[in-house]
Amino acid sequence: MINNPSHPKKGHLKNRDCKFTKAGFEYIDYKETDILERFINDQGKILPRRVTGTSAKHQRQLSTAVKRARFLALIPYVIENMR
Amino acid sequence: MTNFYEMTYILNPVLDEEKFSELVEFVNKLITDNGGEIAEVDEWGVKKLAYDIDNKGTGYYVNLYFTATPDVINKVEKNMRIHDDIMRYLTLKYDSKMNRHYELRKKGELPVLFEEEEENTEEDN
Repeated sequence: MINNPSHPKKGHLKNRDCKFTKAGFEYIDYKETDILERFINDQGKILPRRVTGTSAKHQRQLSTAVKRARFLALIPYVIENMR
Repeated sequence: MTNFYEMTYILNPVLDEEKFSELVEFVNKLITDNGGEIAEVDEWGVKKLAYDIDNKGTGYYVNLYFTATPDVINKVEKNMRIHDDIMRYLTLKYDSKMNRHYELRKKGELPVLFEEEEENTEEDN
């Protein structure tokens, strides 16, 4: 994380507003994988709230949505590091 | 008491077009025969899977919406579990929030997460 300038945990801390609250989301759909992909890191892990600024309510919804999408193979469980 | 449900299932991609529509018809019939009512069938077609299921890299996705009584789900899922060509299925019961979301989606008024300049979601390779 320290040596990687493009790490998602870096530079995100400026904006702490919940993006879902701002956009007026009531339910996060597992089918909208383009949204979900922005809240997982390059290994496929769900990013923590302290990084994305998501509200607790939406983080809970997001995690179920991600898990449903993983089950249906819409997004991967793990992304293997090419190293 | 009836509920609104959403079901997504993945079919074996090795089959041909004819077999796909046959299978979609088979699932629809399972629901209607048990007193359910189909609201919408959305076939996404053959899509790449994020990981292999049963040694297959692709799958034929079908997204289905229907109203039914709770006991129907058991019967339908039991049949789908046994079926060899249905690789995965996920059934969700819709609550009021999800119902409102569905209505919005139908009208095409879904809220969007707008892209901001400071978002750097590009993956580093």
